[in-house]
Amino acid sequence: MSSVQLKRLLVALNRVKQHGYIPKCKQSTAAAAQPKKEPEKIEVFVDGKPIHVEPNTTVLQACAVAGVEIPRYCYHERLSIAGNCRMCLVEIEKTPKPVASCAMPVMKGMRILTDSPLTKRAREGVMEFLLVNHPLDCPICDQGGECDLQDQSMAFGNDRSRFTDNEFSGKRCVEDKNIGPLVKTSMNRCIHCTRCVRFGSEVAGVSDLGTTGRGSDMIIGTYVERLFMSELSGNVIDLCPVGALTSKPYAFTARPWETRKTESVDVMDALGSNIVINTRGGDVLRVIPRTNEEVNEEWISDKTRFAYDGLKLQRLTAPMLKNRDGYLVPCDWEDALSVVAERIGRLGNGSKMAALAGRFCDAEGLIALKDLMNQLGCETVCVEERFPNVGASIDLRSNYLFNGTIAGIEQADLVVLIGTNPRYEAPVLNARIRKAFIHNDLQVAVIGPKIDLTYSYEHLGDNTNILSDLASGKHAFSKALNGAKRPLVILGSAMFERPDAASLYASAAQLSEKLRDVSSKEDKEWRVFNVLHRNASQVAALDLGYKPDVKSIIDLKPSLLYLFGADEGLIKREDLPKDCYIIYQGHHGDRGAKIADAILPGAAYTEKHGIYANTEGRAQQTHVATTPPGKAREDWKIIRALAEVCGASLRYNDIDEIRERIEQVAPNLTRLDSIEQANYFKQNIELLKQHQSSFHNQPLTPPINNLKDFYMTDSISRASLTMAKCVKAVDQQLKSQHRN
Amino acid sequence: MSEGILAKVGQWFKIMRHYGGIKNTVLSLYRYDDLKTGNFIGADKYGNRYYQNTRYFVGRSRWVQYADRVGLDYDASQVPPEWHRWLQYITDDPPTTTPLKKYPWMIDHIENRTGTSQIYVPYTTVPPKIQSWQPPTPSTTTQNISSTKSQLQ
Amino acid sequence: MSLAARIPQTLKQVRPVLSTDHAEAKRRVLNLYKIWLRQIPYIRVDYIKNNWSEIRLRDVIKENFMRNKDITDLRVIDLLVVRGQMDFVETAEIWRQQHNAATLDSRKDTYKKKPAGFLERFYEGH
Repeated sequence: MSSVQLKRLLVALNRVKQHGYIPKCKQSTAAAAQPKKEPEKIEVFVDGKPIHVEPNTTVLQACAVAGVEIPRYCYHERLSIAGNCRMCLVEIEKTPKPVASCAMPVMKGMRILTDSPLTKRAREGVMEFLLVNHPLDCPICDQGGECDLQDQSMAFGNDRSRFTDNEFSGKRCVEDKNIGPLVKTSMNRCIHCTRCVRFGSEVAGVSDLGTTGRGSDMIIGTYVERLFMSELSGNVIDLCPVGALTSKPYAFTARPWETRKTESVDVMDALGSNIVINTRGGDVLRVIPRTNEEVNEEWISDKTRFAYDGLKLQRLTAPMLKNRDGYLVPCDWEDALSVVAERIGRLGNGSKMAALAGRFCDAEGLIALKDLMNQLGCETVCVEERFPNVGASIDLRSNYLFNGTIAGIEQADLVVLIGTNPRYEAPVLNARIRKAFIHNDLQVAVIGPKIDLTYSYEHLGDNTNILSDLASGKHAFSKALNGAKRPLVILGSAMFERPDAASLYASAAQLSEKLRDVSSKEDKEWRVFNVLHRNASQVAALDLGYKPDVKSIIDLKPSLLYLFGADEGLIKREDLPKDCYIIYQGHHGDRGAKIADAILPGAAYTEKHGIYANTEGRAQQTHVATTPPGKAREDWKIIRALAEVCGASLRYNDIDEIRERIEQVAPNLTRLDSIEQANYFKQNIELLKQHQSSFHNQPLTPPINNLKDFYMTDSISRASLTMAKCVKAVDQQLKSQHRN
Repeated sequence: MSEGILAKVGQWFKIMRHYGGIKNTVLSLYRYDDLKTGNFIGADKYGNRYYQNTRYFVGRSRWVQYADRVGLDYDASQVPPEWHRWLQYITDDPPTTTPLKKYPWMIDHIENRTGTSQIYVPYTTVPPKIQSWQPPTPSTTTQNISSTKSQLQ
Repeated sequence: MSLAARIPQTLKQVRPVLSTDHAEAKRRVLNLYKIWLRQIPYIRVDYIKNNWSEIRLRDVIKENFMRNKDITDLRVIDLLVVRGQMDFVETAEIWRQQHNAATLDSRKDTYKKKPAGFLERFYEGH
């Protein structure tokens, strides 16, 4: 085999590796740990085919096991069973009437007929009744093409209706509701499946939506005109089987068959929700969730779903340099790179240089920037979010990860939230906690302010003493804590901004370790300590060796600062020496670009192949949905080109080679869609013992505590008009007379 | 009209009187390649002067001498609309005798600016898909990108 | 029947395109080459805009033949010879146009190559 062939083979193998054909390592879960006696399976027959199912499954689920899909509107796997649409009627032998299969539990020896004449006639009848009052406005309906009613009336309905005498009485008319700037309602189309109502009360935990009236007078709505105040409200758009609830920003823009779908990952929070980006002609039209049981199930937050219009506004589309008058003017890449390289070269060595990476940076850009900076002799390569330098700090991955995993929340029996508001820092994670709270009797305790988390919890207080009280067992809650079999301690990353972050971190880690001693009797692999990050880039940056210490940049008094998407405004022009040259590389003209002397336009997360590690340390990659606008380029390529102009050598020319380099530094980042186990809790605790705790009196308050502040938190969502409308809508809602 | 030499010389003097001296006559010949005599009808506020001589046949009997400041850069679009209608025989009444009605919405006449920096460029009515960030500038004047190359530090 | 006995049989059954052995193939190639060389004066006239000198045109033809010098498969050689003949006819009959004939000559190739270096590709936007 020639060397060329060998190289090709290796590249192919590498690709296979990157696309996740590697056994996933899961946290050993309750199923493995509890060798409970399995209840006996019962046998049922679906269209004569015998299958064995658990005793509590419904007829509909049993049919799914047998590979028969029953049509349904109201039934949804993640919601409670309503049984009101009647579409799932099937015939069961020896029953007088067809039964609603979604609500009927299986019984031994049941013979289910899903294709019998009676079943067919029943479905046809139900379809006919549903269509009596459903408007025939499919051509102007946004759901057209992805509408359950449309599909199922084609598959199961009759080709004509007997209800032709409504020329004078007309169809049922319902007033459209205004439930906010995100969800458009067209209530004539509603078929009363109540999925949205159940979603609101069960998953989102807000009881804004409800029903009034009965029979054909039933109306879904908010009773009085008010906002659907939830950070997960967009999900009702996906849930609605008809076009009654559709996306307002997406209204009348495209049909589903026209759009190109790109599977990607969200970066608005550190959860890495899986998304599908729909594009047409280089235009991001909408973002919808992609099912991933380990991360986001099938929900995404409103910021993830609707902030995409920020990708079209306030973009950096051309490199810019300051002219003689001190104003930024667009220029060519050749000029920009040579001027920046000349500035870097003028410094001689990198000791007076610093780099700061922001929240949207992908692993490729991060490693390229770090390599470049290190080659130039600069060691002050930082990331925006801080992390206390105590114990092993970021040397051990287990110190900064959400070790318990997001799916692990469902096995937990107690969660302690310290200084975090998951509802606004990671809404989908909060939905998971709520799910466990409802279905698994999860007990939640909060150290922090009293906030509405959509589930009830034990409020332990908001000062730092409570942590030490809990650890020493003096606190009233300690008993419950020590009795927990699978506890999780979740520490919010916002707490690392506090002056006493080190002590806070140490005491949280020590408390977790204490709980782990107890819980390890039940499950040896159970990990208690979790950090809930807010920035999508944070875990990858720490994995790659970035310093989580912004202050060190200010202390250095650098003559040149490289801002890589750093838009939090943590470093101000006043903090730096007067002659400091600031280079900003990023995709939005936000706080970073305002103070920059040179701007290098980069790509946003929809425009590049980038690896992001979520708060659990799960590496996932985004794909190219659209090309970067104008002269913008992929981030690692900019840094690679700058390095060449500077005379430094980065030895990677394509995405495969740069991922090989990532693999050298942090192999876990290239094992996509899997979690690399991180342990060493004990070792860290040993190191933490030397730490002398000293606490501040400041209460443990997370930064975002109401819905209004949730929408605009980063450069993309700050540029988004939709998000601005949401802020305004919430504002108005809070002022209105129906605020509660 | 007499064919004699005297008459032609007389005509020369008439022309020179019309244009105001030898210098002006030569200048006018240089500018318009033509020498015409006629009655002065009026002038507009831009400095163009309008003449008529019905001895010439229709189509040549009305003409304009453009303002002196434009030199050789005279252009038909420098004639304002009220004179245009007289000049092009749309009407026989010059605006000096029958001025046009002035409405408040009327703006000043501008000549065709093609070839200058203030050229009219039709704009697209489709909004751009991507809106670029505008860095803070001293004024709203558009900066020529190519000229910034020389201005780079 | 053993496996070893079966293999040569299948190899034998491959039908030749034109030539049955290498000597024959070589003869065909040389014949084609000679035809091309004899055509040189006419090509220069027919495609006068390409401005070929006789020496250059000889090099061009040689270059085109030498590009396939490492091929040993008889069937491939035969097919290349057939294609060479077709090319020849097209050239001799002036079915080609001037710019099309120029593609024979690698020096006259006007196709813009993508830059190889990372930086050049970056500037071009690849």
